[in-house]
Amino acid sequence: MAKVKNWHLQREMDYPYEGARPKKQWAIIFDLNKCIACQTCTLACKTTWTSGKGQEYMLWNNVETKPYGSYPLAWDLNVLEKLGRQDWAKNGKYLGKTIFEAAEPTEKAVHFAPQDNDWMYPNVGEDDCAGGPAGEGGFSMSSLPHDKWFFYLPRTCAHCTYPACLAACPRKAIYKREEDGIVLIDQSRCKGYGECVRACPYKKSMYNPHTRTSEKCVGCYPAVEQGIQPQCVVNCIGKIRVMGFINPPWSMREDNPVDYLVHKKGIALPYYPQLGLEPNIYYIPPIHADRAYLRQMFGPLVDGAIERYQKLQSDPQTAGLLTLIGSTDRIMHRFKVADSTATGFDDKGQEIVSVPVTEPVIERRAWDEQLSVVRNNTP
Amino acid sequence: MQKHTLSLGPLAIALLIPNAVFAGDIVAKSIAADLSKADPTASYWANVAGEQVSLMAQPMVAPRPKTTMTPFVTVQAVHDGHWLAFRLRWKDTEKSEAGKLGETSDALAIQFPINESETPPPIFMGTKGNPVHIFHWRAQYQRDAERGKPTMRDLYPNMMIDMYPMEYSDYGNMKKPGDEQREKFSPGRAEGNPQAYEKSGVDEIYAEGFSTSSVQEGGGSHARGVWQNGEWTLVITRELKREGGSVCPVGRKTFAAFAVWQGGSSEVGSRKSVTMQWSTVQIEATKEAKR
Repeated sequence: MAKVKNWHLQREMDYPYEGARPKKQWAIIFDLNKCIACQTCTLACKTTWTSGKGQEYMLWNNVETKPYGSYPLAWDLNVLEKLGRQDWAKNGKYLGKTIFEAAEPTEKAVHFAPQDNDWMYPNVGEDDCAGGPAGEGGFSMSSLPHDKWFFYLPRTCAHCTYPACLAACPRKAIYKREEDGIVLIDQSRCKGYGECVRACPYKKSMYNPHTRTSEKCVGCYPAVEQGIQPQCVVNCIGKIRVMGFINPPWSMREDNPVDYLVHKKGIALPYYPQLGLEPNIYYIPPIHADRAYLRQMFGPLVDGAIERYQKLQSDPQTAGLLTLIGSTDRIMHRFKVADSTATGFDDKGQEIVSVPVTEPVIERRAWDEQLSVVRNNTP
Repeated sequence: MQKHTLSLGPLAIALLIPNAVFAGDIVAKSIAADLSKADPTASYWANVAGEQVSLMAQPMVAPRPKTTMTPFVTVQAVHDGHWLAFRLRWKDTEKSEAGKLGETSDALAIQFPINESETPPPIFMGTKGNPVHIFHWRAQYQRDAERGKPTMRDLYPNMMIDMYPMEYSDYGNMKKPGDEQREKFSPGRAEGNPQAYEKSGVDEIYAEGFSTSSVQEGGGSHARGVWQNGEWTLVITRELKREGGSVCPVGRKTFAAFAVWQGGSSEVGSRKSVTMQWSTVQIEATKEAKR
């Protein structure tokens, strides 16, 4: 195995192939404080990509309720249990083993192999709360008051820097594109062995029983090639997500929206970084969920990320960027906030969108005399 | 690192086995019968000696099995001057035809060198410039041949689906779309991947090393397997000579290697039992040459 640099772990790690970072790396940031699990992203993806035979069960994008939801069933519990202890140093360095490092010599990665029953409950655990009623321990799901917390976790393929699917494919039918880091399964070469389905710890490779090949999220590459963000992003009605290109911390650019939120502000974190794939979907963690749960999911940097997020009210730069998110279907390569206005630019430096950092408040009379109708002021 | 030492172990063993060491002789007996169709229950098999060939869990590349699921396969061979038939028997406690998510199929492959030489290529699927010709049978492919490729409804009878794109009960004013348009919604088929289409039972494959195999069209080979009492009996019949592929010259010898997958134990792809040495196959001289 080769030694590669994984900045999520702040150390080198073993990987079956030499490290080779793409020229640009596709990435999505999700603000979990805003997701309402409306599943519009799920449907946008479904209708675009997986309406064919053998894809009936496939949700390349799904939204699950944490802690009890999961698709396929218990994907997270299964792989975490198999991986064993996962200790972090306080400074964010990972002290445990990754799925590549913990694998037996006969395997490429620690994994669990989902069976078809595991794919039959896409929204299991929806809206189930955890943590016991306020002020008490225990578990109450069906009675009032509700338990303390839950949150929604939208998931796509993370187009990992070190994909386990790619590492495990004995056909070498999976590749990572140099131009944008998108990971694809070559549909002309795949033989449907399902090794990628087994190896991906996030379970984002899926077997198509009709074509007998495995398929996965394609990052909406035809859109990305034209400077357009993926379907799940542009259809998000909560404007909780943005797709862009992330740089590793040593070459980060402060005016790059993704770099800014991940590196400069440190408010967006990868999920289950300890698995060792350097996944490229990043989450702004929910402020109200159980911290112990969030630490096992996002690592030791989660407390600081939440603290900084809660101070954003007095940070017009970040507030401006968060306002830009969801205001354009184009990929923003740069952004600028000045004079109470946030502006996004494309890869050629052309302005693509401009929004006020704070929407002006307009109050109207309840009765519109011109049209003889009642108007509501909706804040 | 301990892991490196462990994973290099089998490699070291494999390198120590020179290609010139062979697992034993299989004699393809010349008989007067039509071998163009695979028939595992034909009477002529009773008069042909079986050679027991040892297999072990594929040791070279991960992912690989921890234990050998198929320790040996019994091989018989006959030819009629044009067709060369192998009858293969191995123990497998359950019949696995795969189809649904997470299922894998029982399978067997025979491999021949393509270049005619006294020394066969590396046994692990050949090497660049020294390719192999593989006949890959799967119970799943045989099911296709016997009962048609299963539809999603066959696999999941209780499945709910509103409709598939371009497949409507009433097309109204719309022109009924052709297969090509419909198959755009099945990426493997849109790309023409042979894996995505109905199989005849056995695939012919050329390879020049691991992960290089490519399915060849137009092979005339046939296969038929019967699973009974915890044992597969399979016949694969091939033409002695395939243009561009392997040639098994009558009156001379060639080489063969074998691999077996037990679908019930999740064996698929590189998770398989394989022969670690080539067997020689002596093609008995024909008295009444048909070629």
